[in-house]
Amino acid sequence: MIDFFIEGFGMAMRIDTFVVMALGLFCGMLVGALPGFTTLMAMAILLPISFFLEPIVGIPFLLGIYKGGMFGGSIPAILVSMPGTGAAVATSRDGYALTQKGKSRKALDMALFASVFGDTASDIFTILMIFPIALLVMQFGPPELFAVLLMSLIIIAATSGSNPIKALIMMLLGLWLASIGTDPLGGVERFTFGIFELKSGIPLLPMLIGVFAIPEVAKVVMENKKVRQLATVMGERLTFREFRASFRTVCRSTVIGTSIGIIPGLGQVVAAMMGYSAAKNASPTPEKFGEGELEGVAAAEAANNAVNGPTMVPLLTLGIPGDNVTAILLGAFVAQGLRPGPQLFEEQGAVVFAILIAMVFANLMFLAIGYLSIPIFSRLVTIKVSVLIPLVIMFAFAGTYVFRSDSTDLLMLVVFGIFGILAKAAKFDVMPLVMGFILGPPMEYAFGQTVAMTNGDVAGFFLGERWGATAVLMASPFIGYLLWKRMQRVPTD
Amino acid sequence: MFSFSRRKAATVLAAAGFAVAASFTAAQAEYPEKPITMVIPLGAGGSHDLNARVITSIIPTYLEQAMIVRLTPGAGGQKGTQEVANAEADGYTLLFTHNYIDMLQQHVETLPYNPNEDFIPIARINYAPIAVVVRGDSPYMTMDDLIAASKADPGGIQMAHSGNWGALFVPAAQMMNALDIQWNLVPYQGGGPAMQALLAGDADVTMGFPSTLSGQLDSGAVRVLATAGQESIYDDVPTFGEIGVEGDVGFMHRVVLAPAGTPDDVVATLTAAFQALAEDRTFTRMMGRLGETIEIIDGPAYQAMRIEQNGNYEVLVNELTSQ
Repeated sequence: MIDFFIEGFGMAMRIDTFVVMALGLFCGMLVGALPGFTTLMAMAILLPISFFLEPIVGIPFLLGIYKGGMFGGSIPAILVSMPGTGAAVATSRDGYALTQKGKSRKALDMALFASVFGDTASDIFTILMIFPIALLVMQFGPPELFAVLLMSLIIIAATSGSNPIKALIMMLLGLWLASIGTDPLGGVERFTFGIFELKSGIPLLPMLIGVFAIPEVAKVVMENKKVRQLATVMGERLTFREFRASFRTVCRSTVIGTSIGIIPGLGQVVAAMMGYSAAKNASPTPEKFGEGELEGVAAAEAANNAVNGPTMVPLLTLGIPGDNVTAILLGAFVAQGLRPGPQLFEEQGAVVFAILIAMVFANLMFLAIGYLSIPIFSRLVTIKVSVLIPLVIMFAFAGTYVFRSDSTDLLMLVVFGIFGILAKAAKFDVMPLVMGFILGPPMEYAFGQTVAMTNGDVAGFFLGERWGATAVLMASPFIGYLLWKRMQRVPTD
Repeated sequence: MFSFSRRKAATVLAAAGFAVAASFTAAQAEYPEKPITMVIPLGAGGSHDLNARVITSIIPTYLEQAMIVRLTPGAGGQKGTQEVANAEADGYTLLFTHNYIDMLQQHVETLPYNPNEDFIPIARINYAPIAVVVRGDSPYMTMDDLIAASKADPGGIQMAHSGNWGALFVPAAQMMNALDIQWNLVPYQGGGPAMQALLAGDADVTMGFPSTLSGQLDSGAVRVLATAGQESIYDDVPTFGEIGVEGDVGFMHRVVLAPAGTPDDVVATLTAAFQALAEDRTFTRMMGRLGETIEIIDGPAYQAMRIEQNGNYEVLVNELTSQ
């Protein structure tokens, strides 16, 4: 194993690998920064290019696109409160508040450092622990997934704000909205009223842009500032002292993100929210979260990037792609004659380690690429209000349309925009709504699978065979209550 | 050799005439005069997406126009299919789908289009035969063992599949009907998670396509008990025909459809281009690397298969839903 590692290290040290990876990182960042375009699309389109490159060049190229795209998504989230994916939602909360305070450069820098740290640490952990992780992955089936998702929702509701009733109302609304469409298990239509457009459910992107970006646009318009005024300044860069102050949070989020990455089917959204909730809960000043706290950005970004390492494990050790990104990577591996699976390490161990090592170097390289690009991106918010606002509106609509080329989505964007404005006025936080909407369907699916597995006796199945899942289910109300109590206590001290 | 040189001549002629033709009116122009869109009613990263990326990177050689992939997932494939059904029948919008979306869904729910009348097939690109898979340490050494165990304990065998009425569910259901056995069908979010459930011990049996299985097979993590069709794929592994499951069961056909009413000359141009793919060395190499076969058959031949599928699926759905 050590021999493979050393040989792989030597193989990864190639100038063309690094050049192509840098290209992938930069392109990925640009694509990720455009709302409506996903890194997944970019990877699928560029996949055939990797067929013509050597494995140790082509696969790092795709990995570069993926990693660049992950960070790219947080750029519009921070600058104009426009998260293009669920993973960037938690980032946008404090990130955009920082932009409004004229600290967008600090926020982007923090996002970059936290992402790179979380990703690198989880990649190294994955390389060292790949076989133990592979065994652990096997312990999680639908019942465990259901239990962990339910616990996540309880934690989000408990820690989201001072008024848990409002948070719960919004979360239930989100769960209901997610149930619209065709039931994924039974194939029954729910709340569609026979409208075909609703049959596939409400898409996520119009909701994200609608409830997060549109209210902010409306706020600026309502303030009726002088149109020639500059929107804001981009501010100073992040200082080492500021990063040092958030370092505990970054480490905590990295651990949370890596653990969540091991559980198949959870992913970045849960990781970002759990990292954020944990940081808020551990903070002596949780009320500052959401008002522009650098730690909030750090917590979310470190956690959602730390998911990346462990998600590669089922792909490499079993040849099973857990999501669409790893499915494309599987295509790239197979096309190179590398068939992921248990034997890959015996036959091609050096190549696999070379790719994993290139992955770690991609992170470090991205530190430089990102750091140099951030001043260009943050300049966006220093233009005149009269230019920025129309630009944001244009990107909101264009991004929504481009995602599925469906004009119904534009209508949904407007409806969610109005809803977001009203919710903001009534001081309802939209975050639990979005989280209920994103996490509801996988939770329902996991529960439905569990029921199907049991042949009817659900309680007996949980208690008799799935004690791990049962323990999580039993513990989650108490965890939720304790977290809520803690959040209540701190401000009154 | 003759066809090759004629094609080459045609290419040269077309290239020479291109500048002239471009200055004339559109009515005079030869199809295709603008990029063609190929709609996939499925999400990014799936096997259709990967196949389509290879097709669309090679086929411009023969059409002299780009072919653009547009992913339109939603409503189990109905969204993208409806889009093509409503598109102009001018050959600029094609559908890349598979037989379960194409012919089975109409029997399960009410569709916003009529698959039998709204589409004509252009070409079948390839097909994948399904295999019945158990864990390497499973007590079921042969298909007979599995069938015997299923008969002894109806509903006791857990079968992991990739979603209702999907590529693993349908053959499982057809097999249950043909062999008079009962499995407990548990859905997973795709073939990958279903395989993971098998390996983790949550499921007793699943199905998979040979292109996705070889890693596990080589390591002995899984064992194949039977494969679809009449031709043997693995040594000492029976075919569906040999275990008593007859007909077009367990094949996923990847097909290109066009809206009905597409002019004959356009169909001919497209058919020729897709046929040419089979001879293209870059195409065969890239598809081979993906582990996919190339078994191109033309529209009329596939239409006959569609009609047969339609009848089979109607019977299957009626039997399953009437229970």
